[in-house]
This record gives sequence, structure tokens and C-alpha cells, in this order.
Amino acid sequence: MDLYNLGEVSWWESQCFYHALAHLGREGLIVCYPSSPYVCLGLHDDLDQEIDREYCEKLRIPIFRRETGGGVVYLDSRQVFFQLVLRRDNPQLPLRRYRYYGKFLQPAICVYRQYGVPAEIKAPADIAAAGRKCSGNACGDVGDCVAYVGNILLDFDYAIMSNILKVPYPQFREHLYQAMQANMTTLNDWVNYSVSYDDLSSTLIDEFKMQWGELNPRMPDQELIDKSSEIYQRFTAEEWLGMPGRRYPDRKIKIAEGVVLMERKGQVGTVLDLLATNGRKINAL
Amino acid sequence: MHCKKYDIPENLFYDTNDFWIKVNGEEAVVGMTDYGQSNTGDILYLELSRAGEIFKQGDKFGSIESGKWVGNLTAPLSGAVLDSNNELERNPRKVNIDAYGEGWMYRIKLSDPNELKSLMACREYAAWVAEQETSEEEKG
Repeated sequence: MDLYNLGEVSWWESQCFYHALAHLGREGLIVCYPSSPYVCLGLHDDLDQEIDREYCEKLRIPIFRRETGGGVVYLDSRQVFFQLVLRRDNPQLPLRRYRYYGKFLQPAICVYRQYGVPAEIKAPADIAAAGRKCSGNACGDVGDCVAYVGNILLDFDYAIMSNILKVPYPQFREHLYQAMQANMTTLNDWVNYSVSYDDLSSTLIDEFKMQWGELNPRMPDQELIDKSSEIYQRFTAEEWLGMPGRRYPDRKIKIAEGVVLMERKGQVGTVLDLLATNGRKINAL
Repeated sequence: MHCKKYDIPENLFYDTNDFWIKVNGEEAVVGMTDYGQSNTGDILYLELSRAGEIFKQGDKFGSIESGKWVGNLTAPLSGAVLDSNNELERNPRKVNIDAYGEGWMYRIKLSDPNELKSLMACREYAAWVAEQETSEEEKG
């Protein structure tokens, strides 16, 4: 297994390198962080429904649509990415793709625990500490490969995230901000010093070595760089970004696994609820 | 017929991407098998091709998303889409609930009936599913 421990890369390289590996049919593990912020849509997200483009343009935050699942995320340099690309015929890859999350997320869980964070997997694909989400993860069949991607949150800007998402009215945004703060946590909440990328990535990579054996360190070669540039052009094109996606009759934003902020229109007017995915009300807003 | 807990009706053809195919003359109805939907998990979104689109066997003819996984739907046979099940865009979980009924995906006009020879009958598919299950159990 090839290892690309890249440290800081441009915002678009932090997405395009793993897509490029997958489209080239090459397996590998990438660890990196983006030099500047951007917004990343899931493959089936609807841009017009999800994103306040005016706000993004005002702050010059670029938008990318990835080929993996999950929802909209705000990504910046305070998040460390780990991205594993496996060929679909890799014997370690289960048919039930979600079953691999347990193994894929274990190295990140070890990193959190190293810093005293009681992280554990929350099925199918979250890492949570004290019941609060602390990692964003996704997976998708890309080319002849499967890409699993995740991040470790050193810190998270809840204010920007709540402004990036399109909401029906200001009170909704305020509740979104509060709901994220109540249901998410980062390393910064648990340690009172600055965690270095080198320390964090070193533990992460050691843990991946326990799963995959010795990793072969390398830097992006010309084939990978060329493919990444091609993907960057394609995946930031208006046609790709504006692809129609899933739409909901009422505004609905997933905060964490099993927690959704949802506007419900009924006979007595519009109600804003924080709900568990089984429809149970978590608290009145 | 059943293989382990999975329903595998006898009057259908199957492929290794877990599609069932019900042939009626030059037309076929296509959907995901019970085993396929079980592997995929709760289906959150389906993007289906529209009537008139033409595919070759093995081409991508749709996209599917379950709990944090996205994958392609791969055409089991060559042909043209006559109709797709629009109801699945509103309620994709119908594939989980009724894979061989209301969860149907496409009605297709077949362009090469010879390709039917490449598909599996019920018993062959059941054997293939059993093999996959054993392999999954070995992976743990």
C-alpha cells in the first residue's frame, strides 16, 4: 500500500488526489490538510437547496462536489484528512461497504484516545465522543476503486458552517448553530495545547500500518498530478456543481448520525424540531 | 426459493451486480434483489435514468446512496429505458421494503436478447449468494 503523507496541500488537491488515485485504479492512503477553506458537497446533494452561494462568494470560499456520499461539509486547515483508496477486488473489502467503516475509522479513534478523548464509533460511519460527533466520513465507489475518506477535527468553525448552509429564516440558522455546538466536539475541546500535524499524522499512520503492514511512502507522481488537475477542472465546473440532487419538501439538515434539524409544516404552522432519525423529538427548540 | 434469509424468486434472471430481470418478450423489468438491497442498507437516494436513454450491458445506468456510501447502478443488459420508477425518487426505501414489487427500477426494451445467456437463473444465483456470504463471514 502506497502512503502519501502530504501535510499541507491546496484546497482542491485535498480532494483531487484521492479521486485521481481511484480513477487511475491505484490503491493508496493519503494524509493531508487543506491550506485554505472550502465547501464540499456530497455526490447527491442539491447545490441550490443546500448552499448560500452569495455568502460563499462574499467570503471567496470555493465549492467542490465529491464522488462520495454524505452531506455538505465545510473544510479548512484545522481538519486532518485521511483518505484510503482500495480496488474493488481487494479481498479485505467487504461487499457491505458500511461494514468497513469500523476498520477504517479505528486509526482515527486511536488518535483521539491518545489525546484523552473517549472516541468510539457510532454506526454506521461517525466517530463520537461523549455522544458528540467528532469526525466527518464518507465512502463511494469511484472508478474501479472504493474511496473511504474521513477527518480528525482539531477545531471547527460552527459560525461559518451555519452561514454556508441555506436556511429558510434566521431563527433556523441560530438553531442550526446551537444544534451543531451541542452535538459536535473537536480535539480543541479536550486538550489545552496546540496539537501538531506531525504528531497526529504519525499516530494515524502507525495505526494504519497495523492494518495494512508496512506502507510505501511516496509523493504524487506526474500521472497523479495530471489526473488531479483534470478532476479539479471537471468537479468545479458549473455543470457538475449544479447537477440536480436529492430534495426534501421541508428543510432538513443532518447534524450528526441520528440527529436532524428539521422544519415541519403542519396545519398549525411551521415547527422547527431537532429530531432523532426515528422521528423522536430530542428537545424543543 | 430462499438462500439463507434472502428471497430469490424462481421466474427471474439475475446478475452478479444483484439485479433481477423479468423478461417478457422483447422487454424486461429490472430491479435490485433482496440480497442486493440487504448489502446496500437503508437506501436514502436513487438517481435513475430517464425513458429514452440507451445503455450497453455493464454501463452505469443510475446511482444509489445509502448510509454514507455512494455507488453506481450497472445495466444488466443492453437496451433502451422505456420507463423508470419515479416513485423511487420520493421513496427510495421501497427497494428495501419490496425489492421485487414496488421497488422495481426500470422497464427496458432489450437490444440484444443473446445477452440473456450471460445471466444466472434462480439456482445459480442462490449458489452465488451462498458463496458471497461465506466469503463475507470469513472476512469477519
